[in-house]
Amino acid sequence: MSHDQQLRADRLVFYEKEIEELNSELDAFLELSKAKTAMLIDREGHLVTRRGESIKSSLDSVSALIAGSFAATREMARLMGEDEFAVLHHQGVSNSIQIQAVGPRTLMGVIFDGRTNLGLVRFYAQECNRRVKEILQQVEVESEGRGSGLDENFSASAEAALDKLF
Amino acid sequence: MGIPKGTEMVQINFAQKQINAKIVYYGPGMSGKTTNLEVVHQRAPAPNRGDLTSISTDGDRTLFFDYMPLDLGTVAGMRTCFQMYTVPGQVYYNSTRKLVLQGCDGVIFVADSQESMREQNIESLKNLEENLAEYGKNLADMPLIIQYNKRDMPGAVSVETLEADLNQYGAPSFEAVANTGQGVFPTLKALAAVVLKNLSQESSAAGASSAPAANVAPAQAAAPQAPAEQSAQFAPPAAGQPAAANPPAAVPKPAAASAEGDAVAVPLMETGFTPREGAVPQAGGAAPAAPGSAVQPQFQARPDMGVAASTAVAPAPARTPRTKKVAGKPASARPAKGRQKAVATEPVKKQGNTVYTVAFILLAAAVGAVLAKTILSFL
Repeated sequence: MSHDQQLRADRLVFYEKEIEELNSELDAFLELSKAKTAMLIDREGHLVTRRGESIKSSLDSVSALIAGSFAATREMARLMGEDEFAVLHHQGVSNSIQIQAVGPRTLMGVIFDGRTNLGLVRFYAQECNRRVKEILQQVEVESEGRGSGLDENFSASAEAALDKLF
Repeated sequence: MGIPKGTEMVQINFAQKQINAKIVYYGPGMSGKTTNLEVVHQRAPAPNRGDLTSISTDGDRTLFFDYMPLDLGTVAGMRTCFQMYTVPGQVYYNSTRKLVLQGCDGVIFVADSQESMREQNIESLKNLEENLAEYGKNLADMPLIIQYNKRDMPGAVSVETLEADLNQYGAPSFEAVANTGQGVFPTLKALAAVVLKNLSQESSAAGASSAPAANVAPAQAAAPQAPAEQSAQFAPPAAGQPAAANPPAAVPKPAAASAEGDAVAVPLMETGFTPREGAVPQAGGAAPAAPGSAVQPQFQARPDMGVAASTAVAPAPARTPRTKKVAGKPASARPAKGRQKAVATEPVKKQGNTVYTVAFILLAAAVGAVLAKTILSFL
């Protein structure tokens, strides 16, 4: 496989159709579990989609930290002879977060408070996880055939944007 | 199973019209990676920069990473975002350093120009190669910019020596004094340009080889997919159908937003989770009634209202078919179990009816015969 092909195979391209499917799964999950926010993040820390209440601080930062936190505990897991810890849970006084691996490339982060409890979140997250995983597999299969779908003048306008910024 | 090798990617999200690329500042400890990021954070225009997040030790050494998103603005219709990370430079933190490298799209190697740091620069570059190799990546293929930092230090090594030490790949290099901000932006700009160029080159290469549909501009790309979505994929879990059915993908956000507001209840019941057995019939019962009246008008009200207003007679009759339509929808959209049931009960009912009629006819004939016999016997 050439470098170019490799890069293409590695990339995930999300279209609206898939995001809509993912969103409706997350919405269903939120409704049932009474959690505040659910988000999908790829393992590099880029946000894929978020549903539910907005997050006060930067969503990008939260995504990056979730991915980082998951990556760090995975290393911990490896030292203990596990592949990874598939579910993490951080408990706070009012807000808690559960992080869960969804397939090989994606994480689901769920933020919840006293209106629900960990058991409920975990129970419904399990079900949601399965469905989301199927959609993501679909995305992965379809991503292979796709180009990045970017406009042809992307490169030129990117340069212009860079000049403007710096 | 863990992560497959080489799972790095630029993330392209057409729903949010966003491209995310990951840039990593690499280099030996104390070479000025975090300082670089801080300068970008201080001097980038406020609307473009995000928060700078640091996970560092008490001694102000980066423990895990520093992170800052930088928004390039909208490029060819796509919001382009750089997620910028630094790694901890100290040898001790290699395990976390490796994690940050995962999925990176470009590297800025920050070298320390001091004589005493020559060894550590080389060692760090070697470490970068090793760590990339663990992700199945090759530094030669990776967008790379080298920054010779701390040029103002009295014992700074000449750039030629540093080039000989570090730049075996012929990467573009810049001199910098990061704590005064000098050279920080040229370095970043150079890398950003390479990363974006790579991206668009790939896309044109991919466009040539792959299906033409994939190469259409974002908004159009979504549109042709919408019908297919409705007929093929969406058929069984007609989830947000009421939402998806009105002008769907073409206008991404509004559609999603309205779906969020109103359709939430519907997907729940239709595609929804079926963990609890009892929930299914309950949902089935509720679906035709409640969301039918609550959800549907929201969407159809506007187009219909126009007609209603002009004709004035329409409203009452118009309403009944509408609710009917909704009531019909969940039935066909309900999970297979429900559907089978519906299909199964109907024939049974019909059979039952015919049995009854046959029985009735026979009974009537028998009664008739008896009556006829008694009447005849009287005569």
